[in-house]
Amino acid sequence: MTGQMTGQMIGRMTRRVIGRMIGRSWGRPEHAMPAISLLLVLAAFACSPLLSGRPLEAFDVYNASQGFAQLGLLALAIGITMIAGEFDLSVAGTYALGGMLAVQTGAHSPVMGVLAAVAAGAAVGAVQGGLIARLRVPSLPVTLATYIALLGLTYTMSGGLSVTYANADATLWVDQQIAGVLSPRSLLTLVAFLLAAVVLGGTKLGRELRAIGGDRRASRVAGVGVDRRIVGIFTLSGTLAALGGALLGYSYASANPDPGLQPLILAIVAALLGGVSLAGGRGAPLGLLAGTLSVALLAQIVAVTALPDFSTQLLYAALLAVIVAVESPGLRQAIERLRARRTGSTAMTPSQGGRP
Amino acid sequence: MSQPERGGPLLRVEGLAHAFNGVPAVQQVSFTVGAGQIHGLCGHNGAGKSTVVKMLSGQLAPDRGRIVIGGETVELRGRQAAQRAGVALVDQELSVVPALTVLDNMLLGDLGVPFVNRRRAAAARCRRILDDLGLERIDPDQPLSALGIGERQLVEIAKALGQNARLVILDEPTATFSDAESRHVFAAIRRVAATGCSVVFVSHRLAEVLDLCDVVTVLRDGRDVATGPAAGLTVDELITRMLGETSHRPSAARGPAQDPAHALRIENLRVPGRLGGFTLTAPAGRVHALAGQLGSGASDVLRALAGLHPGATGTAELRGRPVPLRDPVRAARGGVAFVSGDRKSEGLFLGKPSAWNLVATRLPALGRAGVLRPGHERRAARALAERSGLPGERLDDPVGTLSGGNQQKVFVGRCLENADVLALLLDEPTRGVDVGGRAAIHRLLRQAADSGLVVIFASTELEELLELGDVIVTMRDGRMVGRHEGDVDGALLMRDMTGGAEHA
Repeated sequence: MTGQMTGQMIGRMTRRVIGRMIGRSWGRPEHAMPAISLLLVLAAFACSPLLSGRPLEAFDVYNASQGFAQLGLLALAIGITMIAGEFDLSVAGTYALGGMLAVQTGAHSPVMGVLAAVAAGAAVGAVQGGLIARLRVPSLPVTLATYIALLGLTYTMSGGLSVTYANADATLWVDQQIAGVLSPRSLLTLVAFLLAAVVLGGTKLGRELRAIGGDRRASRVAGVGVDRRIVGIFTLSGTLAALGGALLGYSYASANPDPGLQPLILAIVAALLGGVSLAGGRGAPLGLLAGTLSVALLAQIVAVTALPDFSTQLLYAALLAVIVAVESPGLRQAIERLRARRTGSTAMTPSQGGRP
Repeated sequence: MSQPERGGPLLRVEGLAHAFNGVPAVQQVSFTVGAGQIHGLCGHNGAGKSTVVKMLSGQLAPDRGRIVIGGETVELRGRQAAQRAGVALVDQELSVVPALTVLDNMLLGDLGVPFVNRRRAAAARCRRILDDLGLERIDPDQPLSALGIGERQLVEIAKALGQNARLVILDEPTATFSDAESRHVFAAIRRVAATGCSVVFVSHRLAEVLDLCDVVTVLRDGRDVATGPAAGLTVDELITRMLGETSHRPSAARGPAQDPAHALRIENLRVPGRLGGFTLTAPAGRVHALAGQLGSGASDVLRALAGLHPGATGTAELRGRPVPLRDPVRAARGGVAFVSGDRKSEGLFLGKPSAWNLVATRLPALGRAGVLRPGHERRAARALAERSGLPGERLDDPVGTLSGGNQQKVFVGRCLENADVLALLLDEPTRGVDVGGRAAIHRLLRQAADSGLVVIFASTELEELLELGDVIVTMRDGRMVGRHEGDVDGALLMRDMTGGAEHA
């Protein structure tokens, strides 16, 4: 009886939420792109038994959610800076530093390790944000330098070797199954996304973030404290990336001084699939969530269907191509040109060759 | 119309001055605005209006002088400080963000907006403010990018009027408006003023200024030259005050040989929302000037011809051959060279040497089988530098390090001596150029016309228009207003450009 009622309620709420999304803003790319991408991947995931020959299990979903946890905080960190028109490459370094610090300082108290990682990430982000805002320098070179410097730091801290984490309790705890498909790690990541969605969607911070990314001069003239916001954004991205690294370190029971570029690239793919524009000013945490889920599910599909490893990359590329083509300014301009050509009598026809 | 002062002035500006890199933009400006008064600020280009506005709105700190609001001397360090002092601004370049919705834009940067969004209350207020301006058609949830430039400006005005400020500054708010839109905006401004809020109104449209304002202050060369009630003034008197001694062109304006066979014929050129049906035949050999303020469509004519407006329609023919619209590469191939008003982002390769920039558009002519020959390149660059009056020793310096005048010489020089260029279009050819460089560029353009090119330029500066234009076409609101050859004076042009003739 109660189960039926909850089911009805959930159904009604879902309908309302989806209805509002479609009604108000289906036509806007930051909503359409992540929705299309997630639906495509979900459909593929549901169809994967056709290829693998065995039904989907809760464990497959759990694996996907673990992949989501591994990538999520990094994608959120870089996605938020991209919405504000910046690009924080250093998150890959902060990710590594967070893991290294947590593993080295959190052997006895895992919470202390996480706190140390998060504090370091926040400090790195704040310093970068301050530099970028005060000196008005582009974020790419600054964060690239920080990324390299942080890798150097993690090498120094570890002597260039992976550091193992002896606290098996913590390792088991972060990855234990909750409700069959989640873990404390993926739950925490999900909560971070939802928190970001509430804060950016429900307070003036979100509006100012998108304004800064959309048109910085206009935002300044309108009275937005642009510099302070930029420091805040980089502090946040540093914090999130370090937290993600720390949790990953606990989960693997080891920290690698250089996790490579793969996490960074997947995080950027997730952000782009999530409807964030490289030019800034567009995107929302829920879109980022959908983008990240798409990336994680796609990896899981490849694992379930036992496709060769390289097909993951090809699938990412294909998905990205589809999503980006849906909303390209070149396409829009071409349509506008076509329309003008049809309405106006123009000088297009006789001059095709131009100069002989 | 003018109201009695209620309890003394709300805003008092005393001896304001500001210089950019040692060049004074505002030297000595003082005026007062009473509570509930609408105060017009007029002046020709470069008179210092925008600089005064920037100081009043906290975007620039004055070098000298003080600003007193409500009896207190205020130091406005930044836009937020100005807002706290009760100043709202409609910026000339707009402070609305296309990426946000209309509602978000109305709330953006407003200090009175709570940290946590109250969507319903905010949307209702936004709806009311929009309706007050006659904007029932705009939905608060629409993204601003879906609106045209004029509607964006209306949203910006709605935002400023809705901020419950003590002083509202409007800098060129109506540049892109139709009459109906202006009427709504003026009614809203009057309503706001009736509540005791002071308004500073800056506009090129003088008839509107006289219609709306109680008092008008005229600025010239960074000083306030006259302040008085608007009631008794006419547009002509205002123009006289703005210009000082009216510049008058000697009636024996030169009439060089014109070459109708080599003309650029423009017929019914349209750009949606910017330009409506522009027709002109510009024969080679004469310099044609398009005179129009911001939003008049003058620069849109040039941009459309250069293929930079993807929505442009109409026909253009150069020497009897059609010029393809909507495609910059084919326009250039068709013989149209465009010198943008924004040479930094749409013209020069700032980090590259001048020589490199000068030859960048003629590389095929200088190479053999696609391989460049440095000797030829060098000689060509040197010849062009000489021709355009650029000091030869600066050829190897990056263009970004040159003065504005020399940069513009490189930009113009790049289009000269090039068999592929048949028409030279220039948008604000001497913006940011010193006096000496200006004369040199004018000489260059004259030579280009004499050598058989079609030369058309758009400008807002009267002296430049009178000095260089053999034929001056005045424009307003995306339409041609008048066409002047020979005898013409600045006041007449000004009247055409600002809409004085119809109203006064």
